[in-house]
Amino acid sequence: MAYSELIKSFEKIRDYMREFYVYGFKSREDYTKKSARSYDDERRRIESWLGGYMAFRHTAEGKNVFISVDNRSVPFNPLHSAWKAKSFTDKDIVLHFCLIDLLSGGEALGVPQLADGVASLLANTDAPFEIDESTIRKKLKEYTDLGVFRAEKQGRSLVYSLAEDGVDLGPWREAAAFFSEEAPFGVVGSYLIDRMDEAPEFFSYKHHYLLHTLDTQVLCDALCAMKEKRCVDIVNFSVRHDKEHEHRVYPLRFYISTQTGREYLLGYHYKFRKPMFFRLDTVRSITAGPVEPHWEKYEGFADKFDENLWGVSTGGDYCIDHVELTLRVEDGEGYILDRLEREKRHGRIEAIDEHTYRFVADVYDAGELLTWARSFIGRVIRFESDNKFAVDRFYGDVRRMAGMYGGGEEA
Amino acid sequence: MIFSEVYGSYFKAVSAILAKAVEGTLTEKELTRTVLANAFGESLITIPAKLTDGSWPLLTEGFGTPLRHAPHAPLTTLEKQWLKALLLDPRIRLFDPSEEGLEDVEPLFTPDQFVYFDRYADGDDFTDPRYIEHFRLIIRAMHEKRKLRVRFHGHRGTRQSYICIPYKLEYSSKDDKFRLITGFRNKPLTVNLSRIDSVHILEPWDESEYLQPREREKTLVMELYDSRNALERAMLHFSDLEKETERIDEKHYRITLNYKQGDETEILIRILSFGPVLKVIEPETMVKQIRERLAKQTALIGKENT
Repeated sequence: MAYSELIKSFEKIRDYMREFYVYGFKSREDYTKKSARSYDDERRRIESWLGGYMAFRHTAEGKNVFISVDNRSVPFNPLHSAWKAKSFTDKDIVLHFCLIDLLSGGEALGVPQLADGVASLLANTDAPFEIDESTIRKKLKEYTDLGVFRAEKQGRSLVYSLAEDGVDLGPWREAAAFFSEEAPFGVVGSYLIDRMDEAPEFFSYKHHYLLHTLDTQVLCDALCAMKEKRCVDIVNFSVRHDKEHEHRVYPLRFYISTQTGREYLLGYHYKFRKPMFFRLDTVRSITAGPVEPHWEKYEGFADKFDENLWGVSTGGDYCIDHVELTLRVEDGEGYILDRLEREKRHGRIEAIDEHTYRFVADVYDAGELLTWARSFIGRVIRFESDNKFAVDRFYGDVRRMAGMYGGGEEA
Repeated sequence: MIFSEVYGSYFKAVSAILAKAVEGTLTEKELTRTVLANAFGESLITIPAKLTDGSWPLLTEGFGTPLRHAPHAPLTTLEKQWLKALLLDPRIRLFDPSEEGLEDVEPLFTPDQFVYFDRYADGDDFTDPRYIEHFRLIIRAMHEKRKLRVRFHGHRGTRQSYICIPYKLEYSSKDDKFRLITGFRNKPLTVNLSRIDSVHILEPWDESEYLQPREREKTLVMELYDSRNALERAMLHFSDLEKETERIDEKHYRITLNYKQGDETEILIRILSFGPVLKVIEPETMVKQIRERLAKQTALIGKENT
């Protein structure tokens, strides 16, 4: 098939964009195990969509292609472009504009009238362009489902009109620009911005992660099931096992990290009989299953479960680890206390004396707190937990780091 | 359906072309310009050809069209549902959009379905009427290209007042805060919106005055040892910054990051949080700070064990 910059399926491009964006050090050979042509086509497409955001570097291993964005300087997520590259047939685009034109007069029309109308609009074209009634019917149904057209019974047949559009996008301009970057389903905001003459570019974003837009379809599929209180079948790709696994869960909530951009679905796993997290970027597909009659019971779990979650790890055994982090805070370092207050997600802070403060919490996995504890290096008097592995790792890491930077044990 | 050609750049470009054809203002040059403005890099090869070779018979000779109306598709249900969902977000009060046309629409999602588990707890109060007023005045000044007098209290409580050009409103999802990015006497100035006491709109600024002072950028080089899934974690964690990664060997990678000088302490903390899998090579000032912190830490542990 001839190359086109448009794509039929999003799944393949999702992987390539992720690789180009996240890693950026891979050469053509790293991608071409399956197909060199496929790599060349996908790279060319992404270059076409992202233009100036694509960068190149020549190394001994070959040419590296990567997506280079200073997230803080872009008013809109450039990766949204991928969602705007869906392929279509000649009939799709011609019918789109003809049907909208025929219904723009405000009159409700039936299929025969619309078929005549389309034929009439295309009558004076040089090349013959025939569209049968069944194609028109399918397109009318599709657009009615999308909410663009409204179908009404008139006698025994259906008539179609443009759906009512009482939304004035003018007052939404700034909100759409901001939330296209900061709300779930931001790409929908991007679609709305495309409808505007111009969008404000005076918002910028710090700690801004762009990659999650590529997972919008799985987010959408899970959310649709959640609305209908349905369980879902998840096909998840395990990086560790390099293999796909299927899971049936009752979807509960989405957990979003503002510090890494990672997004997770929390679901109750029927087979393992416990809540589990699934990273959306490793989920290949989500299919809605039957309605869960005991949905209230599972949703009740979610609040209780959250009480001891530090991040998204439940440890190996879902047991609770007790953690205590004792810090030295010198005079004039009130900002350390501010940090503790704003960054602690659970637990409490105890003042031991004027210069010593202790953070105490009970969490599923003390190991998850290590990242945070290490950020206080230089002030940690004690890191204690009944999770011995986490304690050993903390002190071991400090020793290795001291060695790395000149003194003691080397990494 | 999220992935649909209805939202696609090709439909957007052709819609803009047909609007001009209906209006009678379409020319070959205008067609090219419209494709470049609305579609992708290589779309210029496809769209004009399809419109003129009969594949998409929507243009007639002389850049006319058989269509009678400028194309206007109503909002889809998905678009309306997304807008409706925004009305439930506390930050929407800053904008005050109209609910008109969305009365009977179900929100696409609700806030309780999303948990931002590592967001800091001292975010801005988006319901504070004074905060909302300041936010809207800043937006208005940006639209009208006018200067502002901003009075605010600094970190140590000192009151400050500046006449400035507002360049950007910066939001951090991690901090849940807005900052006004501006400048004073050719130096960058960043003011947390929650610290602002008053905002007054002043006269329009002149184009010659609009030179946003840039905060000094610094470059950091670090080496990553890929253990404990460190490569993937670091690549994602630092993906909010402009970076380049090179593979040294199977397990070692060199990462070059660009960051703003004012963020140095934050970057240092982020690097420390990774533990021994990341080692800063440059700049020396940061290496020195890490050494100092580690020396303090080693001393604290030693003291504790004696």
